[in-house]
Amino acid sequence: MNAWANIPIAEHLFLFSPMIALTATMLAVVATPLIAGRSTRAVAGVASIGIVVAFILAIRVARAVAQGGVSGFSPQPAAGMLLVDNLSAGFQVVLIVFLAAVTYLWWIGSAARERNAPEFFILLLGSALGMALMTSSANLLMIVIAIETASLPSYAIVGFDKRDRLGAEASLKYMIFGAVCAAIMLYGASLLYGLVGSLAVTDVAQYAVLQLADGDNLLLTSAALLCFLCGIAFKISAVPFHFWCPDAFEGAKIEVTTWLSVVSKAAGLILLTRIVLIFSSAVDSPLAISIVQPLAWTIAIMAAITCTYGNFAAYQQTSVKRLLAYSSIAHAGYMLMAAAVFIHPAATGHSAGLSAMLVYVVIYLFMNLGAFGVTALVSWDAGTDSIDAFTGLARRAPWLAVPMIICLMSLVGMPPLAGFLGKWWILIALGNLDTTLGWFLVITAVFNTLFSLYYYVRIVVQMSLRDDGRPQPSVSFGGLALVNICAVALLALFIFAQPLKSAADRFSTKLNPLSATLDHPRTALLPPADR
Amino acid sequence: MQNILSWTVFLPAIGAVLCLVAPKRHARTIAFVATLATLILSLTLFPTFWNGSEPEGAKAVFGSNYGMLHHVERATWIEMPGKLTIDYFLGIDGLGFPLFILTTLISFLACWASWNFDHWTINKGPRAYFFLFLLLETGMLGVFVSLDFFLFYIFWEVMLLPMYFLIGVWGGPRKEYAAIKFFLFTLAGSVLMLVALVAMYFYSGTAIADAGGSVPSAYRVAEKTVLTHGTFDLIELATNPVIQEYFARATTLFLGLKFAPLMFIFLFIGFAIKLPSVPVHTWLPDAHVEAPTPISMILAGVLLKMGGYGFLRLCYPIFPTGGEVWAFSLAVIAVVSILYGALCAMAQSDFKKLVAYSSVSHMGYVLLGIAVMTQAGFQGAMFQMIAHGISSPMCFFLVGVIYDRAHHREINRFGGLWLTMPKYGTMATIGFFASLGLPGLCGFIGEVWVLLGTFHAGKTFPWAYPMAILAAAGVILTAGYILWLIRRVYLGRERHEYAEYPDASARETFILVPMAVLCIALGILPMQTVFNYTNGTLDLMLSHVQKATQVHQTAIDDHRDGEPPGEPRLGSSASQNRGLVRTP
Repeated sequence: MNAWANIPIAEHLFLFSPMIALTATMLAVVATPLIAGRSTRAVAGVASIGIVVAFILAIRVARAVAQGGVSGFSPQPAAGMLLVDNLSAGFQVVLIVFLAAVTYLWWIGSAARERNAPEFFILLLGSALGMALMTSSANLLMIVIAIETASLPSYAIVGFDKRDRLGAEASLKYMIFGAVCAAIMLYGASLLYGLVGSLAVTDVAQYAVLQLADGDNLLLTSAALLCFLCGIAFKISAVPFHFWCPDAFEGAKIEVTTWLSVVSKAAGLILLTRIVLIFSSAVDSPLAISIVQPLAWTIAIMAAITCTYGNFAAYQQTSVKRLLAYSSIAHAGYMLMAAAVFIHPAATGHSAGLSAMLVYVVIYLFMNLGAFGVTALVSWDAGTDSIDAFTGLARRAPWLAVPMIICLMSLVGMPPLAGFLGKWWILIALGNLDTTLGWFLVITAVFNTLFSLYYYVRIVVQMSLRDDGRPQPSVSFGGLALVNICAVALLALFIFAQPLKSAADRFSTKLNPLSATLDHPRTALLPPADR
Repeated sequence: MQNILSWTVFLPAIGAVLCLVAPKRHARTIAFVATLATLILSLTLFPTFWNGSEPEGAKAVFGSNYGMLHHVERATWIEMPGKLTIDYFLGIDGLGFPLFILTTLISFLACWASWNFDHWTINKGPRAYFFLFLLLETGMLGVFVSLDFFLFYIFWEVMLLPMYFLIGVWGGPRKEYAAIKFFLFTLAGSVLMLVALVAMYFYSGTAIADAGGSVPSAYRVAEKTVLTHGTFDLIELATNPVIQEYFARATTLFLGLKFAPLMFIFLFIGFAIKLPSVPVHTWLPDAHVEAPTPISMILAGVLLKMGGYGFLRLCYPIFPTGGEVWAFSLAVIAVVSILYGALCAMAQSDFKKLVAYSSVSHMGYVLLGIAVMTQAGFQGAMFQMIAHGISSPMCFFLVGVIYDRAHHREINRFGGLWLTMPKYGTMATIGFFASLGLPGLCGFIGEVWVLLGTFHAGKTFPWAYPMAILAAAGVILTAGYILWLIRRVYLGRERHEYAEYPDASARETFILVPMAVLCIALGILPMQTVFNYTNGTLDLMLSHVQKATQVHQTAIDDHRDGEPPGEPRLGSSASQNRGLVRTP
């Protein structure tokens, strides 16, 4: 078969239809002002229709992939360039649901004042497309492109309001930090390509394991790998690549903050997971155990530090947005713990860790959406997101305060709320290892729960224990509905825990064969001269 | 009645939801009805225990290691096939039963004590108050009947948030500090419990895998249940010989340390914080002083008992060797709690703080009785929990009654209250003498049993004699501060500033009378009121602990009123079995 003359067939087009729908929506958003003028309503309407279509397609793809009705991966010549499996299909559904929620939040909050709706949606949809791509690739080049597709619109959207000094500063910080990380990552990727002669992560993994075993290019390989992982750690905002996170979150509009807080990290985590899975399946020999262990410990320690740092840094914050930014660093740490499970050779079934991570992402989505939603509603009313704006909220607006308390307690991980189950499955995955590493992370995680309690409770205290007689806030019904649905979902996901867990189990198994085995020959990916 | 435990546990929760939707002024009525209905429902459990907790024919179920479970409800809640099963598993035995009744009773009385909510200093949000109150009751009841560790942990945590708000919103001047302190301390304990929860699950799984991957259940014999992976089932963890043997093995390590003693300590810290014992007791005086009266009643009456219950349900049956290793340290902590608590109580000038520190001292006896692992010790600890669960809410309510009138709690500013308020003074004398441990009242039996048990332990643990002597000295200190308190507050010349105070109202009297009656009843009829319901289960559990640890092999028979433990007693009536009894 001629590798360079592959024409996509209908099945493949179907598999990538959610991404195609997102791209088409972007184009439609560009085109709309040409027809309907710069009407915010028209643009947002077109974007919303596009998102709904993408959602329907994503559901259909996820179902088709889960049932095994399709081959499950992309055409052979492009193998690893773009792939579809349970993991990426499942994530796309979550991504688009969240996209819809953020659009809704924008609609109720900023739409009335927005004058640049087309640009906003192009950037938002563009970063969504990038995140979808991030989870659907096992190729170094494609990963770099995906991360850039996700990042570049994010930089712009953080500083979207050009008259806002704070936003501009945040955007600049974000961009400079991101550009440096991207440069390091590209450097790592080019070194790896030079060493391996292939861009497929599977080949890189095989090569790296061989190198690590007999140590010819050991230092260079490790350095290149580390450089490459920098870019991913930047997306996850793992310590020490977290510096952009609080500033960007504080400076951006709150819809944007909400958007960046969940899916951007989740996409990075899933990308990391995929790479780690490929690596750990490349390591089968007993010899290799000694090689992988340091890598597992690296991720574990990074996770532990990220988690602990995020929690302690949140203590002093007076801006709720910034506080939630640090909290999101901490939660990235919890999720990163699940990634340490995969690479550890003791993990017989990787699916426990992956499924725990997926459950966590879904639950985290609800609790963060709820917490940011309340913060948005309060700050739109009060004009500030300082913690003082929350004073006496329990009396002034119980329908805002109660969901906020539920979301915050869920972020702490208190039963009977879903946030506890998110942590619980991670603990189970870690305990399943039954190694020092696993128990070390278990203990770190539970103590971090304790540390985190204090700063979340500060908001609760401000809302329910203090009162300075402020007037009632005027809040739209739509906003109340959103946050209360999140709160109810957190309760429901705890009591009816089974369906979510079963779904996550399903989506974390039967991953793309590319990442599961390595016994296929090197694909005809590149011209012979490059091999 | 089918599913009586579920109904009892969740009835308050239903009431809580009703409170939220009801008009403001009716919230208290709904809460009153809900707690009363819960109390009545829980009293229907009595016939089950009429003939003792291990009635003839239903005795010695699980290989004679654990008590008979009644009203068992079991349903799978979360399942990962072949890997993990979390059950909704409720059941009640002689250990949970008296505490269950105590909870419903004290909750009802505390709810009634909240009846004058509208007259409190902070009387905002009655709906929220009664909602949280009822939610708290559900959490407390759930703890005493859940037999799946995961479920236990959930109920344990469910209590935290309502309690936090009840102290934090409706409390005294330093309520914010007291509430967060309570929250942080308790959560600190429960995170260690969470580690133990995960570790016990996987270690039991390893034990089963080592034994060939499938082990028959130790007690679900009739159903021919086979364990293929780890379990959260507290009964299974305590009785299955494969799991027990693996847990106790010296080569079973957790992060390089011996498994059983370490897990014992992880669990112990969580429960000791709740108990509370020195040095993790400091949340208690703050929480008690700042909490409104009914919440203090709940705190003292029920929440503290969860610590003792946790020892008896989790620590000792599952890790008996841990108990043996730590016996001396725990006894030291217990004696320090007794003496230090009593000395602190003596130094207080705040009425409520004095009662709070007396709780530290009294709960020290519970820990001491359990720590020495003798029959009288276990029984005495259990009795002391019940006795304290009645006398101390009564004391807190007595403080609340006078605080409602005087709006201060300075002991030295009171005097001659008995003359002003004769009914109240009489009740107060009963309550405080019960707390003192006067023979004939409830406090006496528990303390004496614990002291006897500690002396008995001396045969194995030589250090137990001095411990017993020191603990006995605590009784003198208790007498000291309580008599001094009564003299300063109730006796002496009538003071003119209090002369106008009305005596206890009808409502206040009706709340005090049941507790006063129980104080006397427990003191005079300890067998009929407590021991008959608890001792069967406790003795079986203790015999299991002693068998596993080889301590006190001979000391156990001293106070026995039945057959020796460990001998399976056969013959059964099918109606009582509910499929749990191994058919002879």
